[in-house]
Amino acid sequence: MAGTRTRRGTGSEQSRTARAAALAEQLHHECTLLLDLYRKKETFAKELTVSGDHLVTVPPLSSQLLPNDMLWRLYSALQQCRNLLERAIGREEVVGNGEDRAQYENQKKTVRDRLGHLLESTRLLLADGAGTAAFTPEPKNTEIDGPVNGSPFALKLWIYRIFNELEHWTLTASNTLKALHPDGATPKERGTSGRARGRRTRR
Amino acid sequence: MPSLFLGILLLGLRVTESQASGLAPPQQVRLDADTEAQKLLVTWEDGRASTFDVEILRTELMEIVFNETVVATEDQSTGKHQWNWTSPVPLECTSLSVKVRSRDGQDVSEWSSQQILPGLDLPDNTDSQMYPEGKTVPVGSNMTFCCIVKEGQQFGSLLYKDTLVKETMLSRRTYATTMTNQGPSNPSGTNVVCSDEKKMIITGAVVFVGYPPMPSDLVCETHDLISVDCQWSKGRETYLFGMARQTYYTLNGRNCSKARDSNMRCGLEQWDGNWTLVARNLLGEFRLTDAAELGHRVRPVAPVNLTTPEVYSWNASVGWLWKYNGYERLSLICQVQRTSHSNSSTQTYTGYGLNTVVLKDLQPDEKYNVKVRCGSQKNFWKWGEWSLPLSFQTKMDRPVAPDIWLWMDSDNLGRVLWKPLTKSESHGQISGYEVTLWSPEENSQQTLTLPQSMYSLPINVTDRWSKVTVTARNPAGVSLPANVVIPRHLPDAEDTTISKVTFNGSGFPLSWVAHANASCGYVVDWYNTSCTHDCNVEWTRVAADNTNTMVQSSNFFAGVRYTFSLYACSSESTVLLERWHGYMQELVPSRTVPRLSPNQEGSDVQLTWDQIPLEHQRGFILGYTVYLTNASHLTLLANITDPQLTNHTVKNLVLGSYKFTVKAYNAAGEDGGATVSISLDPYTYWLIMEILVALGTMTCLLIIITIACYRKRKWVKKAFYPDIPEPKLPGEWGITQGTLDVKPSPHSMVHIVEDSVWDSSKEALVTVPEEDEEGTGDEEADTDEPASLRYYNQVVEEGSSSRGRPHASDSSASSTGSMDSGHTDVTYTGIQTSACSLAPMAHFQPQPDASQCAGGGGYRPQMQSASCPEDPQTGPEEHLQPPVGSFGGYQPQCSWKQDSPEADGGGLDQACLGSPTSVTSSQFLLPYDTSEEGKEHQSSASTWFHNLLTGKP
Repeated sequence: MAGTRTRRGTGSEQSRTARAAALAEQLHHECTLLLDLYRKKETFAKELTVSGDHLVTVPPLSSQLLPNDMLWRLYSALQQCRNLLERAIGREEVVGNGEDRAQYENQKKTVRDRLGHLLESTRLLLADGAGTAAFTPEPKNTEIDGPVNGSPFALKLWIYRIFNELEHWTLTASNTLKALHPDGATPKERGTSGRARGRRTRR
Repeated sequence: MPSLFLGILLLGLRVTESQASGLAPPQQVRLDADTEAQKLLVTWEDGRASTFDVEILRTELMEIVFNETVVATEDQSTGKHQWNWTSPVPLECTSLSVKVRSRDGQDVSEWSSQQILPGLDLPDNTDSQMYPEGKTVPVGSNMTFCCIVKEGQQFGSLLYKDTLVKETMLSRRTYATTMTNQGPSNPSGTNVVCSDEKKMIITGAVVFVGYPPMPSDLVCETHDLISVDCQWSKGRETYLFGMARQTYYTLNGRNCSKARDSNMRCGLEQWDGNWTLVARNLLGEFRLTDAAELGHRVRPVAPVNLTTPEVYSWNASVGWLWKYNGYERLSLICQVQRTSHSNSSTQTYTGYGLNTVVLKDLQPDEKYNVKVRCGSQKNFWKWGEWSLPLSFQTKMDRPVAPDIWLWMDSDNLGRVLWKPLTKSESHGQISGYEVTLWSPEENSQQTLTLPQSMYSLPINVTDRWSKVTVTARNPAGVSLPANVVIPRHLPDAEDTTISKVTFNGSGFPLSWVAHANASCGYVVDWYNTSCTHDCNVEWTRVAADNTNTMVQSSNFFAGVRYTFSLYACSSESTVLLERWHGYMQELVPSRTVPRLSPNQEGSDVQLTWDQIPLEHQRGFILGYTVYLTNASHLTLLANITDPQLTNHTVKNLVLGSYKFTVKAYNAAGEDGGATVSISLDPYTYWLIMEILVALGTMTCLLIIITIACYRKRKWVKKAFYPDIPEPKLPGEWGITQGTLDVKPSPHSMVHIVEDSVWDSSKEALVTVPEEDEEGTGDEEADTDEPASLRYYNQVVEEGSSSRGRPHASDSSASSTGSMDSGHTDVTYTGIQTSACSLAPMAHFQPQPDASQCAGGGGYRPQMQSASCPEDPQTGPEEHLQPPVGSFGGYQPQCSWKQDSPEADGGGLDQACLGSPTSVTSSQFLLPYDTSEEGKEHQSSASTWFHNLLTGKP
């Protein structure tokens, strides 16, 4: 399961890692925006936190892990996120009209598409390329499919938790991929470091 | 012991009371809950009473929530009493205890056994919950929400939407809040969130607040003459969304699944004649009905496949097809809307199965868009939909005659103007113009072909041409000619009255008195008044029977003065009748008055300025305002209401600096104001005049004083300058004077009058002059004097220093003194026995005051001296040698000249002896040698005074 590659990979691998890190960073931004839109739509106060266990279940990402193991766990988490997002999109009823609704719906689709791209990028970084060998959620975790009692609030809370998971795991992916990259910076940042030395970086 | 006794007593009393009433307590009390409706159904068995006391408590906290007497009739079939209670709080929130007792007036039975409706906050139900969840209620409803926290969890707060609300504790785990008059929900519902003390969401509920449906305006019609299409308005927004809560419609019992959002329509295959629409959601339903015959509800569909079989210059035909064959037998009324570049018009046509029309009154070479819609002519219901538009272009035709006008630039030069043909006039692209100049007298003509871009031709009216004809040409042909007569005599514009005309919002209204010679109507032309060269001239024609018009143009601009001229048009000439000036909108002048200048006139200031140039007036100047400017504050001094007056005098100003601002104003207001400063001088001319007057006065005074002093010079001299005998005896006087031989004049005799009393009428000295000296005494002043009185003992000297010396007053004594001392500088030349020598006196100096010498004894100081004539006189030959050397020997000034060390004999000869001396003025009649002046500086003051007296400069 653990790959044999080290952080000192080939140039193309470094480039792929950098691209994946940039993609993860962008996706995290999109997820944050989606979470904000959902809070606004449901008038959830920002200081309110969600309860319950994490919907995404993977072994903890330890810094002592080999890079490939970290990538593999990250890939598994993102895959669960995508599954949850698909379920959420499927179960959430599109109601209302107006600009806010359109913006929210578009943002959901954007996150879904970018998450698919990040998954593919991450899969390519894996040593065995075996995205199919990812972790699967714990069978006992019935929250994966969402509430079954028909409670509208439970459904809203479940979707809220999914969006929180997305925000959390895309941030984790961004940080992890940056850490895996030799320079710890995105290609864009490296490309401009010569000119912008001493200036504040994006993060 | 006492308490035990009291308890037994009370128990006994209660048993006694119960037995006394005879009412049995309700039996088999049962509770049935309808949690959705929050209703509690209480049933019990007891057939004797009809009223009961019901008491409901929250079991855990024993709080009474209901305690009233209710009426509960017995169900005859079951023999049970039942009573419904709607709880304001969801029944799941906490357990309720219910007990009932029978009542008959004041008699009551014992309470039934307490029945408990268990809530969901019991310990065995550990999860957190909130009730009611997912409920749909009308706007304005009041609702109580309860939050059951998880076992062992700490309650934090309740939020309705994002607003913190106050909660009430119902039980150990249950907290409730009541929301009143709820407003409409968001599309996804209103959230009520329950959180713990760490702001973590415990649970929540969603409530959907909205309205029941209320559609309106159900209308059913047919398009194909078979089926029915019904439409209605959605009406008030329900605020309920989603599959479960949205509004559903049925038409005559059939679902209208396509009726969504704004598409409120539903169709049926056959015409029923009666329709019922039912709108339904969770909050209620609404019904609408409609009924009509088919023939009254025909709304044709839109025509399709529009074509233009025939197109000409002025008309065209348009055809179309119908989608349904049934229209062939339908009487139709159709509208054809045609639109050309800016015009749009609609024409109506009728006919059975109408599918073609002819469009008339089209414009040549015009592009048209046409569209068609129709309705049922019989029992017209509504217009059908418009067809898709069809475009076509008509053919060209020859243009109309251009509108021409002759406008005179000057007395002899004019321009033949014609208006560009509009699209509706040109009937095709204009290729050019032909201008023909006619001379009927000479039966000649000249034709010019001009390009399409030219709209004027300059002419000289003094040429032989008397008529101009203009035609326009396009590919379809040449227009009819337009003529204008060239006037032989120009109207005299100076004699024409000019009025003002006011723009009324749409144009300039002009009216005039009818003119007899306006056979072909009137022409009003206008132009920018301030334009001087190649002005843009516009004109309009007015029919002969009209005496007013409204001049309108898109070229009118605010702030520009226009001149309108009215001409009477006839076949022979045009006559200028009247003129107007007007502004479309007056604006404040764009500049200030030019050449504003102040002019001080004593204490007044006259301000003058020029009129603002016409192009800057931007309105009729009504006058000027004059302000005194003080810092930024303007004080109105004058309002000049005569616009022709361009000066103003500010009067009675005190000395100081002033700033004046002059503003021209018109109906729109004042201009920015021209400011000028002036500092008032202290009346310069007056000051100069005062100085001149003072100088003149002083001069006159000095002259008077001089004259007075001159006339009273003796008195003056005596008063201020008495003779002081102070002879000086230069050391070499004897040597210098040694050359002079003083001889007594053999011809002179002094007769001493032996009279002790002074008689001024008699001469003190009588001199017998020589005969040859008689002729020299030609001075008029001397003619009156006795010939014997030739007083020569006059002090004749240069410089005031000699005045201090008593030369003549005591000449003999002085002479004697001089002789004695041998140092005196007084030389008595020519004085014989007396100091009077007639010949030199008469010869050198006229005597203006002969009395002084004759009557008064001549020179009085000397005459007063008794010793005057005692000295022997010099010889008569010295009298014969004037002026050189001595003139008779008496030259006191010459002696005095010897004061100067430089005064030698030569100097004496040149300076003293050579100068004739006036007796009266004590002035040498011949000028001194200038070299002598340096010797006299020490006595300059005396000289000045002496000069003053003598009038010598």
